[in-house]
Amino acid sequence: MNRNLFIRELRSNAFSLMMWMAVITILITVTMSVYGTFLENNSKVLGMMSIIPKGALLFKGISNINDLFSVLGFYSANNVIYMLVLGSIYAIVLSSNILLKEEYNRSAEYLLSWPLTRREVFLSKLAVVFLNIFILNMITAAAGFICLEINKREPFSINAFMILSLYTLLLNMFFGALGLFISTLVKRPKPITAFSIGLVLILYFIFALSKITESIAKIGYISPFKYVNLDTVNPAYKLEFFNLLYFAGLSVLLTGLSYLFYKRKDIYL
Amino acid sequence: MSSPVIDIKDLSKNYGRDRGIEHVSLEVEEGDIFGFIGPNGAGKSTTIRILLNLIFPSGGTARIMGMDVVTESKKIKLQTGYVPSDANAYSSMTAGEFLNYCQGFYGTKNGSERIAALSELFEVDRKRKISDLSGGNRKKVAIVQSLLHNPRLLILDEPTMGLDPLMQARFYDLLHSENRKGMTIFFSSHMLSEVQMLCKRVAIIKEGRIIKVEDIETLRKRQLKKVRIEFDDQVDREIVRLPGIQPQPVISGKVFQCMYSGNFEELIAALRGKKITDMTIEEPSLEEIFMHYYN
Repeated sequence: MNRNLFIRELRSNAFSLMMWMAVITILITVTMSVYGTFLENNSKVLGMMSIIPKGALLFKGISNINDLFSVLGFYSANNVIYMLVLGSIYAIVLSSNILLKEEYNRSAEYLLSWPLTRREVFLSKLAVVFLNIFILNMITAAAGFICLEINKREPFSINAFMILSLYTLLLNMFFGALGLFISTLVKRPKPITAFSIGLVLILYFIFALSKITESIAKIGYISPFKYVNLDTVNPAYKLEFFNLLYFAGLSVLLTGLSYLFYKRKDIYL
Repeated sequence: MSSPVIDIKDLSKNYGRDRGIEHVSLEVEEGDIFGFIGPNGAGKSTTIRILLNLIFPSGGTARIMGMDVVTESKKIKLQTGYVPSDANAYSSMTAGEFLNYCQGFYGTKNGSERIAALSELFEVDRKRKISDLSGGNRKKVAIVQSLLHNPRLLILDEPTMGLDPLMQARFYDLLHSENRKGMTIFFSSHMLSEVQMLCKRVAIIKEGRIIKVEDIETLRKRQLKKVRIEFDDQVDREIVRLPGIQPQPVISGKVFQCMYSGNFEELIAALRGKKITDMTIEEPSLEEIFMHYYN
């Protein structure tokens, strides 16, 4: 790894990291502040919920409407969109551009004329991607935890909260690795931001649809969102070994392949 | 004899449908100022990008200072400076930030003094953002960054594009002075005047192939002369068949014009008795020599 490049990347990505952290934190805070009102209007909410298709709740990880009345159930149901989807979009946008931007900004011609190996370039940028995803997850999870503590009416399982946060981190890391991988396959030096965001959304909708429609339930397995267990209220909630292996294995595999491809990649400008 | 600073052997790069370079071989000796000329798309940048390991060769080898450009690229770059043809990158940084960033990769001693001295020489305003600089000023920043670590070899891709004549002259002076101190210089250009002013040796590349590597002086002294003869009535057809007349002479009305590399006695003998109103024999410009090879 090269310290100079690492620091430069950290700096140049700092503003966007702060913005994403701020947006997600605000969304979590606002959503969680509604929890109290939600509980107070218990009967009205139940009436309203009865007209929402069961599937629409299912894909938010709610198997029982009453789960929503637990603070952690409420948090995890809303966490899906904010931390899982937005966090994944952040991860893939960052990682799919971090190597490629040197090509479309034409800075690769400088960067690779300086005494750096491709390995150092790759590792420095990889470290920035994973560190930024990690920081985003830590800060937003901390914000989530504070919101839970402030808004809770009953105690909630900290263990379940930690597991949910770990799932979120694993999913975001996976998208980080996927973005890197895709960017090393791109031949033309152009940003692939729109494609990357589209990919996250498509994978999310596949997951959502597979939850709603039983006939296509199996298709859900092609989406990584499927491997995030959101059923935090379930007493048997735990980190599934297979899911952990799925995320860790795929992330390592995609990162390894990205490294091999980048090492041999022709950099066109 | 020491090994060449740049040693390219049978180097090829296929781009699929697009032409890359084919079987390029050339050697640049220590202390040389070597020009690499050809029109756009001839393969100059492709060759340079292989030397920098931006792209990988499809065949052949390239070595710099005896080191392989693919496997020993980092070591090579510790002793090589590079000026890209397009110096628009890192536009959000100020020139000073950019130079400090670049300097950070070399970790040379007295780096900031070197930055200050070179910036002064090239009148680089380090406080201004690169995006706010004119093309010429960006180029100057690129030149400064290439010289920060006192490289043994300097590679330049179209170096003076965008520089005003005064800066060009200063740049040439600097290159000559660095060259006298031992720096080898390899640069691509499509401007022949530039090659003429700077180079000791030159390679001409056409459609991905090297068509000539020559000393600039030899190239000039190849006895290739530009001959223009104005006949009184019409151009004498016999003259076209004279050995030494290079292909594609121009005949327009009474005027015959060509490149001639033959014996002057034969030319004069062939013209004896012909009615001629005007005749000039002159040194061709490098451009004309180049066009001669290129055609």
